[in-house]
Amino acid sequence: MAKTYDFLFKLLLIGDSGVGKTCVLFRFSEDAFNSTFISTIGIDFKIRTIELDGKKIKLQIWDTAGQERFRTITTAYYRGAMGIMLVYDITNEKSFENIKNWIRNIEEHASSDVERMILGNKCDCDDRRGVSRQRGEQLAVEYGVKFMETSAKAGINVEQAFFTLARDIKAKMENKLASHPSKGGGTQLKKNEPQKKSSTWKCQLL
Amino acid sequence: MYGKLKKQMDCKRYYPALKTLEQLEHTYLPRVSEYRFTKVMYDQIVRLRDGIKEASMSDLKDFLENIRKYSSKIGEVAMQHVADQHGLDPTFVSMPEKKRKAPPPPNPFTGEAEATVTDQETNIYKDGDEELSAQELVDFSPVYRCWHIYNVLGAGEEFESYYRKQRKKQAKLCLQPATNMHETLDGYKKYFHEIIGFFVVEDNILHTTTGLITSGYLDELWEMALSKIVAVLRTHSAYCTDPSLMLDIKILIIFFCHTLEGYGFPVTRLYGLLIEIRDQYNEILMKRWKNTFMDIFEDDNYTPITLHYQAEYTAIVTIFPFKDEFVEKSPFPKRFPFSEFVPRVYQQVKEYIYACLKFSEDLNLSQAEIDDMVRKSTNFLLTRTLSGCLSSLIRRPGLGLAQLIQIAINTEYLEIACIHLEEFISSITGISREATHVAKLQGKSMFKDARSHAEQQIYLALNHKIDEFMELANYEWTLVESKGHASGYLMDLVAFLQSTFMSFTNLPDKVAQTACMSACKHIAESITNLLLDHDTKILSAGAIQQVNLDVIQCEQFASLEPVPGFTVGALQMTFSELRQILDLAMSDDWSSYLADFGKDRNKYSLVSPQTAVVLVEKISNGMKKTGVFTSMKKPEKERKKLLETVLKQLRALVNSSAMM
Ligand SMILES: Nc1nc2c(ncn2[C@@H]2O[C@H](COP(=O)(O)OP(=O)(O)OP(=O)(O)O)[C@@H](O)[C@H]2O)c(=O)[nH]1
Ligand SMILES: [Mg+2]
Repeated sequence: MAKTYDFLFKLLLIGDSGVGKTCVLFRFSEDAFNSTFISTIGIDFKIRTIELDGKKIKLQIWDTAGQERFRTITTAYYRGAMGIMLVYDITNEKSFENIKNWIRNIEEHASSDVERMILGNKCDCDDRRGVSRQRGEQLAVEYGVKFMETSAKAGINVEQAFFTLARDIKAKMENKLASHPSKGGGTQLKKNEPQKKSSTWKCQLL
Repeated sequence: MYGKLKKQMDCKRYYPALKTLEQLEHTYLPRVSEYRFTKVMYDQIVRLRDGIKEASMSDLKDFLENIRKYSSKIGEVAMQHVADQHGLDPTFVSMPEKKRKAPPPPNPFTGEAEATVTDQETNIYKDGDEELSAQELVDFSPVYRCWHIYNVLGAGEEFESYYRKQRKKQAKLCLQPATNMHETLDGYKKYFHEIIGFFVVEDNILHTTTGLITSGYLDELWEMALSKIVAVLRTHSAYCTDPSLMLDIKILIIFFCHTLEGYGFPVTRLYGLLIEIRDQYNEILMKRWKNTFMDIFEDDNYTPITLHYQAEYTAIVTIFPFKDEFVEKSPFPKRFPFSEFVPRVYQQVKEYIYACLKFSEDLNLSQAEIDDMVRKSTNFLLTRTLSGCLSSLIRRPGLGLAQLIQIAINTEYLEIACIHLEEFISSITGISREATHVAKLQGKSMFKDARSHAEQQIYLALNHKIDEFMELANYEWTLVESKGHASGYLMDLVAFLQSTFMSFTNLPDKVAQTACMSACKHIAESITNLLLDHDTKILSAGAIQQVNLDVIQCEQFASLEPVPGFTVGALQMTFSELRQILDLAMSDDWSSYLADFGKDRNKYSLVSPQTAVVLVEKISNGMKKTGVFTSMKKPEKERKKLLETVLKQLRALVNSSAMM
């Protein structure tokens, strides 16, 4: 079985119901948009392969339901995530204020070195804006994470956001690899297999 | 005498002129026959007679020319009259008011306003009251005069054939509609007005002359016309795609019929045509409703309807027959099990039924005929239009599990509501559902089929998700030792299935069970395929161990009853074959496999010899390769030899079972 990728990164999308998590993911995986709101039930995922520095990286992106009633089901997915996108809706102040609560959830349930990023979605709706860019930026700085305003509808910054998160995860991973080369196959890297082809089994046995 | 004659001619009093001539010829001239000028007078009389004949013919020709222009007005007036009698607004059958009052634009060359054509030609058309009948509208005297004179002159037959020939020509002209007639209602009006006008005139001629035309002749002409009209209407109505225009056309045709019936022309064939047009109207409706249904599906959020207030609740239960005590008693916000599209689709089917009925009004149909028609076309709507829309919705790529599950649930409630549709039709037509000849609505079975289609897609969608996990599987087939825990992809897969079955609490038990069973089967098959994949030639003990750990996870998942209602062990059964394959590979128990093959009590009954061959080949390959790098020790050599013997026997087994 030929391997089709070099790394597998598991990402997670969280945020209030209706902020556009599913749409952001749909834009990223299918490059399309749907304006009818079909609220996510439980959890779903999409996989897209990207290339970074010549490496094939599979992103398995988990899309959680924002609705409260699915909270137990969705928090179970925090632990395995290597990167988390916190999404709010720039037209909905409440969803922005809730980002703090979502971050607390991450601190409680996710692994401590998880990469995080804040997205202010629906930036195409500038006329209905309720949260300024600056406030978003400010919050991100406070938590020491990156920030971007996106629009799933207009396809603004969606690609960039996922690439940024993936790149940061990759850099963190390579750093760790460099400092503890013996632990190269740790939890995050269990699927990491840089050597391929005929040499693989030989190395395994020696 | 001659002066009198001249005067009569000028006043177009041709018949008196003829009489005068006759008098001259038979009474006066014989008295003066001995004079030479008498001979001249006789010659003159022949010429005068020809003159009279010509003059009356020329008037007739004017009449024929003018009548073509006024037929349409005659028809319009006749139709308006009938409409009025039936309580229909006469303007419905009239041509739109022309701006009669507006003066024509001045002549671009002289700058003078010109007299309108109508002004010049009012000689035939007595203007005034719109209620005038044909005789009152039109001066028929040129026909009577000419017919009379020709008869007097012994040329009656000549005239008769001339008149009939000319009028037939005119009939042909008015029966040929404008090529764009179908575009507007006015196009149809114009066509009908002219035809009615023509026949009203002929009917008048029949009744006011003796023998110029006969009723036999007129019936024949009408028959010919009717065939043509039916053909024309059939062709033109086929272009129509607007149901409201079709309804208007129907009303026009009905009043066209009424008007001509009033003059005694049989119109049954036109009613037959109306039935044909009705079928076409229904087809157009169905096309419309196809778009309506697609829009409803497009807009739906595939989420159970949540109701916050009594008013919202009432609004839905008044349009959709849903009674559920639990929902009724539960506090607000209440939840219906179905999404918006259920009441909307139901409502639209009813709207369609109303629209269908509209065409049948005034068609002289019995309630039973109407009932039959409505049921038939509702069936078409359900089994063709709605079923097609549902099917293309269900097949839509990228449709999520949530939507598919909601669709399956929705079809259940639509199926239940079908009985109310039947009652609804009965309440309109007055024909009870129990009546023997009544065609049953096929909605129930259609919704059942749609549901099983949606369910099938649920299983496929789940399998598709499993396939995505399988692509993440990254087995190291040369692994010396397993990782000691199940693979990451598999842990994720199992967790995903668990969350899915936990989340979709609205999934009907039966569907949840089938979905779970089919998911387990699919996982077992996928792992088996990976294990036996021809592209990997090697299978190390460590790799087998790893797969074993993964399958143990699956077995645990199965034993924990992710959905309730399975008989004990039923779900684990899906992994039995894979379990036996792994047990056999791990235990190296080839002697038992070969010895017990085909027997009742066989630990490995599910492992086919073909599978065993692949396993042994891969295991043995793994050993061969290791040999390149390490010097094989004695027990390894022996094991290798054993495997080769086993392989031979297995191949023999494969061959013998192939021959059986
Ligand atoms: N204008 C605009 N609308 C958006 C954008 N992204 C999403 N929406 C709309 O917002 C609504 C919610 O989008 P979803 O992606 O389903 O929201 P969600 O965050 O996944 O919600 P849950 O699944 O309930 O947690 C939908 O009606 C989308 O069409 C955007 O970038 N611009
Ligand atoms: Mg969502």
